[in-house]
Amino acid sequence: MRVYLRYAVKETLANLWRNRMMTIAAVLTVAVSLSLVGAALLLKQSAAQASAQWEQGTRVTVWMQPNASASQLANVRSQLATMPIVKDCTFNTQAQDYQEAKRILPQSEWSVLSVSNVPSSFRCVPTVPSDAFVVMSTFKNEPGVYNVTAPEQQIRQMNSAIRILQIVFLALAGVLLLSATVLILNTIRMAIFARRREVSVMKLVGATNWFIRIPYITEGFIQGLLGSLVAVLAVTALHTWYPLHNEFQLDTTALVGTNLVVLIVGVVIGSVGSGLAIRRFLDV
Amino acid sequence: MIRFENVSKTYKNGTPALKDISLDIEKGEFVFLVGASGSGKTTFLRLLLREELPDRGRILEAGRDISELSKWRVPYLRRNIGCVFQDFRLLPNKSVFENVAFALEVIGRPRSTIESQVPQILELVGLADKAKNLPGELSGGEQQRVAVARAFVNRPLILLADEPTGNLDPTNSESIMALLERINRTGTTVVMATHDKALVDRMRRRVIELDHGEMVRDQVRGVYGIDEPMEIR
Repeated sequence: MRVYLRYAVKETLANLWRNRMMTIAAVLTVAVSLSLVGAALLLKQSAAQASAQWEQGTRVTVWMQPNASASQLANVRSQLATMPIVKDCTFNTQAQDYQEAKRILPQSEWSVLSVSNVPSSFRCVPTVPSDAFVVMSTFKNEPGVYNVTAPEQQIRQMNSAIRILQIVFLALAGVLLLSATVLILNTIRMAIFARRREVSVMKLVGATNWFIRIPYITEGFIQGLLGSLVAVLAVTALHTWYPLHNEFQLDTTALVGTNLVVLIVGVVIGSVGSGLAIRRFLDV
Repeated sequence: MIRFENVSKTYKNGTPALKDISLDIEKGEFVFLVGASGSGKTTFLRLLLREELPDRGRILEAGRDISELSKWRVPYLRRNIGCVFQDFRLLPNKSVFENVAFALEVIGRPRSTIESQVPQILELVGLADKAKNLPGELSGGEQQRVAVARAFVNRPLILLADEPTGNLDPTNSESIMALLERINRTGTTVVMATHDKALVDRMRRRVIELDHGEMVRDQVRGVYGIDEPMEIR
């Protein structure tokens, strides 16, 4: 066994080194494709998490100017009350909104606020979620209105953008994974071809089939593993410097899970590539 | 040691390679296999190595029917059969020592065995002083002796030689034959396919002649030519 381990390690390393250009190509292709897979998984998870966080709470908020007059307030209030698409509305006074701001904003931000410069707001729930848009466009230019926001709507849009991105990533990753498999297959084929004399002598003197095969399988396995390790670095970097809101920041469990998937896919790709090469080109 | 029972082999393109061959080769025998090209000599050897299976009949080696051997056992069968070819089949980038050691390495022999066995066998074939040379630095005769060393280092029961002197001049052929005889004297069964008439005539060993797949002669102390008196067993 020890003899064999030494032999297999020596052969595998020699093969990897002999085909180093092909090896680098295969490893990089695996790395790029698996980085895409990892990014798609991260996106999916962070989108799900962000949606869950925003689920409860106001659907549409009509923010009034801090200095809006009483008649402007009354106008907006009555319009909201008569709109059939608005199911329910509550009014937050400036004092209430100030308290809320105090609760959710960091101190550096709310300390510059005071009750008088905080907007009062109507928190409304539309009958159908997509009607949030109609509410937004209706009240945006109403006198006394500062802004209309619909966080869920934003998330919804973002979610569909993310979904498209995800599909694109996964489709690209699929194509790249396929080419990575073919590249690994080709590398192993070249390794087998380079050693065909050795292989024929090995068969002649009675080396077992697995003895002959294993160095080539290990070679593919290592290429897949190296590629996925690079991808794990990329995914971890992406996770650390995520260019999105805090709400999208994922915890370590999600990262570890994603990296695990990346590693497993990489190793499987490597083994499948070399396995196919052996079946087709190593006649033992 | 080797027994053919009504063995026939026809290749896929329809050429019959062997027709109804029955013979016995005892342990320790030295047998020449003669015949024109295409007479079936190579098929005979390939059948012994189980690179081919017979269409009909049985082949027994050391009492076992090798057609019934499962695929994964074939390598173990081959460990008992040494092979020497006309074209030597050495690995050009390995030294003499490494070429012989390779045969032990790939069947999982420990380093200590390799380090004691390989110098011994190189001594036997008279190449102890060339252990570090590459095959390309040796003469044809020396290369063939390395090949014999590789075939014999695992002490096989049977040694098959397919035209081992085909690429050699008479002097080198002589030394290879002396080597094969020496190996034969250790009790190893040697089967040698050859075209070398002078060599067969001088050795006076058992001769099996094939012609178009049929065994036309089996002579105990035979010569190559058929104009000599025959003695059919």
